[in-house]
Order: sequence, then C-alpha cells, then structure tokens
Amino acid sequence: MATALRETTLQTMGLGSVSDILQRGQLPVSQDDLVDRVFGNSGARGSLVISGANGIVGAGKTMQLGSRLQPFDVKVVALDFPGAPDGIGQQYPGLIQAFGREGADRIMRNIIRMNYDGKHLPAELKDLKPRFLLEAIPEILEVKKAHYKIFRDAFPKIEIRSVTSGFPSSELGVGIAHPAFPHQINKVWEVVEPEPSAITQLLWAMGLIPVPVSDHWSFILDVLFCGVTLAGARYHLNNNMPYWKIDKFTRKLLGPNPFRAHDAIGTKGATFLTWSCLHHLNQRYGELFRPTPDMEERKETGQAWYPPNHFRPLVDWSLDGDDYHEFRAWVLGPLFQMTSLMLHEKRGHLSHLNAIGELCAQFRRGIVAVIRDYGPETVVQTVEAYHRLFPAAAGGAWYPNAFDDMGKPEWQQLYVNAEHNGNIGVITISRESYSWEVDRELNRAIDWLKRERIDRVVVTGDFHLSTQMVGADTSEFFPTLKSFDEGYKITSGWSATGRRLHDEFDTSVAFVNGKRCLGGMLELLAHCHYLVSVDDAQLGWPEVTLPVVPGMEGCHWPLRKARPEDWPRLLHMLLTGRSVRAGDAVGWLVDYAGPLEQALRVAWKAANGADHGLPLRNVEADALRGVPTDVRDLPDPDGPGMEIARGAIMQCVQAAAASNLANALTVQAKLAAEFLASAACREGMVGAEHARTMAV
Amino acid sequence: MSKAAEMLPRARIPYGTWGSSYFPAWQTSALAEVNIGQFAGESMNRIMGLRKVPTSEIEYLVIGSTIPWHWKFWNAPLVASCMGHRVPGYHVEQACATGLQAALLGGAEIQAGAHDVVGVLTFDRTSDSPVGVFPERRAHERTQAIADVWDNFGFDPATGNAMITAAGITARKYKVDRRETDDVAYHRHQQYFKAKESCFLNRVLVPLDVLNVQGRPLGRIDDDLGVRKLTHGGLRAMRELDTCVTSGTQTHASDGMACLLITSKEKAQELSPRPEIDIQFVGKTETRTQPSLMPEAPAFAVQKLLDRIGLTMADMAVVKNHNPFAVNDVIFSQLLSYDWRKMNNSGCPLVWGHPQGPTLTRVLIEALEEAVDLGGGYALVFGCAAGDVGIASVLKVS
Repeated sequence: MATALRETTLQTMGLGSVSDILQRGQLPVSQDDLVDRVFGNSGARGSLVISGANGIVGAGKTMQLGSRLQPFDVKVVALDFPGAPDGIGQQYPGLIQAFGREGADRIMRNIIRMNYDGKHLPAELKDLKPRFLLEAIPEILEVKKAHYKIFRDAFPKIEIRSVTSGFPSSELGVGIAHPAFPHQINKVWEVVEPEPSAITQLLWAMGLIPVPVSDHWSFILDVLFCGVTLAGARYHLNNNMPYWKIDKFTRKLLGPNPFRAHDAIGTKGATFLTWSCLHHLNQRYGELFRPTPDMEERKETGQAWYPPNHFRPLVDWSLDGDDYHEFRAWVLGPLFQMTSLMLHEKRGHLSHLNAIGELCAQFRRGIVAVIRDYGPETVVQTVEAYHRLFPAAAGGAWYPNAFDDMGKPEWQQLYVNAEHNGNIGVITISRESYSWEVDRELNRAIDWLKRERIDRVVVTGDFHLSTQMVGADTSEFFPTLKSFDEGYKITSGWSATGRRLHDEFDTSVAFVNGKRCLGGMLELLAHCHYLVSVDDAQLGWPEVTLPVVPGMEGCHWPLRKARPEDWPRLLHMLLTGRSVRAGDAVGWLVDYAGPLEQALRVAWKAANGADHGLPLRNVEADALRGVPTDVRDLPDPDGPGMEIARGAIMQCVQAAAASNLANALTVQAKLAAEFLASAACREGMVGAEHARTMAV
Repeated sequence: MSKAAEMLPRARIPYGTWGSSYFPAWQTSALAEVNIGQFAGESMNRIMGLRKVPTSEIEYLVIGSTIPWHWKFWNAPLVASCMGHRVPGYHVEQACATGLQAALLGGAEIQAGAHDVVGVLTFDRTSDSPVGVFPERRAHERTQAIADVWDNFGFDPATGNAMITAAGITARKYKVDRRETDDVAYHRHQQYFKAKESCFLNRVLVPLDVLNVQGRPLGRIDDDLGVRKLTHGGLRAMRELDTCVTSGTQTHASDGMACLLITSKEKAQELSPRPEIDIQFVGKTETRTQPSLMPEAPAFAVQKLLDRIGLTMADMAVVKNHNPFAVNDVIFSQLLSYDWRKMNNSGCPLVWGHPQGPTLTRVLIEALEEAVDLGGGYALVFGCAAGDVGIASVLKVS
C-alpha cells in the first residue's frame, strides 16, 4: 500500500495495514502460528504462568487468556501465595455466564493453581514447561526484580511481561503488557517492548487490543485515569466539594467518574495504584503529579471515597457561571498539561492515546479529541488558568508547543483513516460508535481520496481498536432532546455523509469484519454499493428499543435496495430491534457473507471491479409503492416508548418511501429529528442517560 | 470606642468564614426528614466551600446541639466525617445558650494554644424530636417516655413550670403591658423583613438543597418558613396564652444549623476574605436568676458583664439577643434603660424561630455582620437558656 492519510495503528505492531489485509485476503498473522511461536509446537506446548494470579489483575487475566488459550491446549499456571484470597474462584460465575457451564469447566480444568513462597518455585512447574510469565505481583520494584530472577534462573528462555501500572521497562528489565480494568473483559493492553513481539501479535490475533507505547514512568491509561482522579482530588482539597459530586461534574465534563471507579475496583488497592503512579510521576516530573493528602491516607486505610450507604449524600452542590469555569480549569488544566507531556515524549500513536481514554477510562471522547475540539489557544489558556489556581504545577512538565501540530492528519484523523494503492481506497473506522467527530473525519477521508483521484473504496473497521460497530454514540443525541434543529443537523448531516459513499465513488464496498454492525453504523455502510460481511456478524437496528427513529436513512434506503418481498423482513428488523446473522441476510441486506478470508477476497474483488459475481442491488430512485403498513407476527412491545417508536418508525418508512430518493433524505431526517425531540425519547434511554450525565 | 481587655487575646473570628442555614419552622421543610448531624456536617462543608475556606484547614470541631440525633454518641468526629474531614472535637450542650457557648469554647481552644483553626458548628432538628424512654424504678411511673422538645418546654423539673409560665410570671413581676409586647413583636418583624429585603441576610444565610436517598431533590431550604407578616391589629387580637404571651409574641420551634470559624490572629488574616477586619472576644458571663424568672436572666448577665469589662450600653454598636418571648426585650429595656427599638436590627429568634442549638450562633453571626456594616464597634450578644439562665458576651469588631 503506497499511501495513507496517516500511519495505521496496525503498523505500530508490525502488522502492516488494512489495505494489505484486504489485498492479500488474509490476516497478517495467524493465531496458530503465533501460539506455536510463543508456547512451542502442538504436542510440546509450554505453559503460560500468571503470578499473583489471585489478585484483581491476575485473576481477570487468567480468565481472559485462559479462555482464549484453552482451545490450543496451552496450560495456564496460576501462581500465588498459599494464603492469598481465592480471586480465581470468584471469576467462575462470570465464566459460566460467558461460556456456559461446560465451557467454563473446560477453561477452569486448563488452569493449574500452584502456590509458592515468593522465593522458591514449585518443583512441578518444570513439568509444565513455562514459556511465558505474566507477572501481576505487587508494585514493589525490588520484589518484582527478584521475582524475575527466580524465573530466569529456573527457565532461562522464558519470556516475561509485567502488568505494572507504573514502572518502565528499563527499570524492570522486562517487557510490559499493562492491561486495563475490568480485567476479565477489557481487551486493551499497553505494551512496551523494543520491537513488536510474537506475544503482542498473539494478543492481537486472539482478538485483544495491544497498544504499543513508549517506555516511560506510568502508561497512558494511568496518566489519564490517575490524572483525572488527582484533578478531582485537588479540586476537593481547595473547594471542599465531596468526591461523589466531583464525580458527577467530571462525568458531565468528560465522562469518567474516577472516585466511584476506585471504590468499585476496591478502594485500598486501587488508591494504592493511583498513589503509586502519581508518586513516581511526581518524583520525575514535579508538582503536577503530587498526590493529595487524602490519597496518602486512603491508600493506607482503604476508606471509601464515597460515603457509606447510611450516609448517602444529603446536601447537594451546584456550580454556576464562574464556579463551573473554575472547575473546568481544575480538571481540564492538569489533564491538558499531562497530555502535553505525553505528546512531548511521544508516548504513542495519537489514535492510541485518544482511544485509551475512551476504551479504558470512561472518557466520552478521548483526550486528544477533546483537546482538538478546544483548539490550541484555549487549551493553553486552560492550563494557564490552572497554573493560577495551582501555581506549583507551572514548575515543569508543561509543553505548550506539543499542540502546534493540531492541523496535521495525525491529529485530524483520530478515528478515521484512509489508505489507497493508486486505484482502490480503504477507509477504516476505529471507533465503535458514530459521532460528529467520526462524521467529520470520514468526510475528510473521502475528500482526501477524491483529491487523490480514487473512485473505488472499501469502508471497514480498523482491525484493531474497533472490534465491532455498535451504532450512533447516543451522547450526541443529548442536545437533540430539546432542539429539533440539533437533531436535524445530525439526521441530515450524517445521512449526507452516507450518501457520499454511494454518490461519489464508482464503487464502494462496506466490509463488516467484527462481531456486530448495528444502528447508525449499519445505516452508514448500507449506503455502499456492496455490503460484504463475515457470516456470523450480527446486523440490526436496535433504535426502536431506545427508542429513537433510525436517522441515517435506515427507514427507506435498505428498502430501496431490496425486493418488495423482502420488505417485511427489513420492517421486522426496524420494528423489533432484533438483529440478524449476516449469513442469513444475503440478497436482501447483505451482498455476500462468508468466512473471514473468503469475505476479504470478495470485498477486494468487488472494489477492484474484478469478477466478483455479486449482483449490484440498485437503489430505487422513485417512490416505492406497496410498502406494507403493517407487519405480522410482531412481538409485544416491551413498553409504551417502544410502542410509540414503532408508530413513528412506520410513519417515517411510509413517508420516506413515498418520496423520491432526492427528497427522501429530508423527509426521513425531519421525522427522525422530531422524534429525538419528543417526550418518548426524553423518557427513554437517551433521556435517562442525559439526566444521569448532564442534569447534575 | 472605649477600650476593654480582651478575654481570649489569641482568638479571632475571621470575618466572612461563617454561615447559617435558613431556619424553617418545625415540620415545614425537608429538614424534618434528615439526620440533622449529617446535614450540619455536609452544610458546613458546603458553606466553607462557598466562603473559599478549605475544610482541610480546620483542626478541631466544637459541635453544639440540644436534641438527640441519630448516632450522636459518635459526636463531633462523626459530624466532621460528614463534613469530609477527619478531625477530633467534642459536643457542647447548654440549651438555648448552646450557640454562643460553643463559639466561646471554640475561642478557648484557640486561646489554650491547642489549635489554630477551630470549627464551631451548631444544629438541631425540633421536628419529630426523638422520644427518650427512661426506666426509673423509684418513680411511681416506673418508666417515663419523654418527647425531647415539647415535654421539656412544658416542664422545668427544677420548678415544675413550663417555659411559657416563666414568661408569664416574669411579665407579671415587671408589670409588662401587653400592648408593649405586641409593639415589640411588630417592630421585630418589621426589622426582619427590612433586613431581608435589603439582602443583608444573604450574607449570613445560605440556601441548601437537600437530597433524598436516591439522590433526587427532596427540598430546598431557602427561607425561614413560618415567618408571617404581622399587623398591629392581628397581634392585638391574638389570644393570650399567659401574661403578655401570645403566638405572635413568642418564638416558634424550627430546624437548622449555623457555623463559623475561630482561629488565631494569623490564620484569621489568611482565611478571611477581608483580613483587615479584626474580631475579638472581649468578655462573657452567665447568671442564674430566681426560679421561673428566665426572661430577666439575660439582663442580669449583661449588667454583670458590662461591670466586669468596664463598658456601658452606650459603648455598644450592636445589641442582639435570643428572645424567645417579647417579654425578654421589654424587661431588658427596663433593667438596662436601653430602648428596645435600637436592638435586633436585622431580625431575631422571636421572628425567625428557634432551632435551639444554632439560634445564638446565627444571632452572633448577624451581629458581627451588622457591626462590620457600621464600621466596627462592640457587639453585645446575649440570651436566655433553660434553667433561668442568662448568657452574654461582648465582641469587638475593628
């Protein structure tokens, strides 16, 4: 692949580009090969050892990796002190939920629990041929080093990764694979290693999200999460606001509620990790990172950040005008400054830096996107305002020039990238939910491809950060609850972007490579001339359950591409919110569905114009006649909101289908926007989420 | 301004580091439904936040209340935890004198050199006051159940009389004219509403939003609910409950909290938004008068205090008291030869109610604000308390 708008995130793991994957019709590495490389060939497999396996991290990762390695007959040794509380046993119910009892038992059978005294490894370990140690023991540097020595003495060729949340690889003397909470299910791992290793590529091949980062004290997630916690704690110190209320305002401002998260994880352990991270950063970078006295105290006592149940908060706090501006400076100022440090140190690909906040720290939008939105001038002013409130932070670790490159593609294309080989373009979306930022970036990507004279395009996920496509980011609907105009901006604007995929390319191919493609993302991709999918992907429009009316032309565009006899199926999907397996939707929603490698090849052929054998389902430009006004066998709605939404969706379908293609966009956009501003929407999940997040 | 010796030379009240909730009448607001100790702690934290004083500055907490509240055993440390700050402290209780006594004891903590910043927090909830069950086998009832507020108001065990009876007895002793108590009550209401309209009270009183257990709004405490605009005619027409005591010439039970800081001189300058204002304790005393003559006790206390510190009523820039009965003010006026129209300029408990513990704290704060408005001077704060007690204190604002 010759040209890309910006570096692909796959490249950071030595895995090439999405175009390479499509062009070759296969993934760059295979799970089987990597398991062989890391654990030895089948029949002579070595094992994975997780030390500190009963801790929060160790137990979670024992489950996550154990469930993925069990089919390959890789034994997982869970090593811990004899008296350690049983963290692994606690995971069993969750395992049953995910894999069923039989599957859970199979995974648990593959986990071998062993005890040791911290100085001597169990003799039986040798028989299991440890090949890879994932160390998850307490954050004490000397203890960790001694631990590695024991293993290296016994197993000189063993690969070691630490899950540390703070120590750099250069201090530990081993590579780092730092996972994100909740450890059973969060797929993100920040990895530190000189070159992309087989272990990192294996994590990727197993469906996880390794993210290479630089070797500095503490990693991106910790700087962000500990940073936002510290910002809140420092605000409390100066303004008395209780932590529970700081959480609410922080959630409104950015998304996370860090103090609740500490209590949920376990106050003592989580606060110790936060303190430890900040303590080390404070030693290296100065006062910006100094932990507050409350953190010092709570890491020792484990006193929860939230009041106990019998003292649920009684007196509310409000922030108006200047006070809210001051709060913003207290919270955003240090985060912006910390981000300037990470940018200055080139801690990672900007899309990684951005995504980590969203995928691991509850940020509604990643910190880079937030900074981009404010613009360099406002960001610098915010940090300066923070320095007036907390002058000690001005003493170091502040790099205002780090924001100078904000106009470059690395900044401008955080969520959407584009590549091309001179003939075919590939647009990759690395965010699971569609937002205004994705929309703008997608338009810029299309513009770039057009400037590069590319008329054929594949639109797909990025095979890395987005493992599925779940639809619209419903937080974008918050302003629409009170304003038809805001809703109309979304429904008309995002639909227009979808149409560009249809109208501005000779051939556009949507490729669904993840577990599911839902809602607005499916509406977007349905605009492409061809929709190709892996056969077990779930496709659907769950809007009716929220309830909202599909606003990106889902109410008429798929009907215009389908035969009249297939309309009831589409209407059934729209009115029930139920999804359909891609393999079962070929011919009326999907143009091809098959196993990954076959689907990749078909998608590339379709884009290339080669003999792909897929009939083009044209979009009917005239008004559709005979669209059913009633759908049989609909299950009862699950509430009045859904019932109202069904009526609104059917009204939208009828009105949009009765218009010609040119007018249908406006018709649908208006009706969908009207519903976004309706009482039904305000009383539904969007309204409830808005109330929880914004009505602080 | 005459000079008087300082009672607690190390102690200061930093101007502006104080505040009070409104005092809604009993059973009229969300405060009737809360743990008042928790409410007080959280409210003090909120008030200090609004005053830009980090609660982390507070080293010690003196709390004052008179009505038992849930978990009161855990005392000031628990209230401090509700404030979000773990400091030691103790509880003081002296019936209606609590609000002033707590501040004086806070000053004593500073004077002793034990701390540099002491929080004083007084509170009470008269609504749904708890019922205590007292097994007393000697008594013929064997076991007595006492509703804390009303049964105590109705019966002074030392004299056998109710509070209201004491007011009537004292009114008769001084031959108080019913018309004068009505005039006092009318004037006091006028003073209160004038202060309210002038926004003077906004510097003292802080609106507070109360949440239910689900975190949803339970109610906003933003008014002294229960205060009515009275007319002369209306007062005259009220039924006399005892001599010179009507529903218009006596206070009413209410709920609330009030707080302030007492600090060293250096800390006062650091924490006050107006460090140029200096507030010192000049003197304090208490007296106990004859049985069931409580309304005269404050006047005796004031006279005793003035004698001790060498000042006169003419030296006082601000005079403000806790006056559960209009009779109190008339008798004070008689005994000290001081026009009752000149005192209580911003309102008083006769009008805005009586939550007991915090009453005299709010009186004190309002007096200090008034003294600052006047450019400084002596502020006399006094009142009566159960047991025929009078308490008085003079502070100097300069």
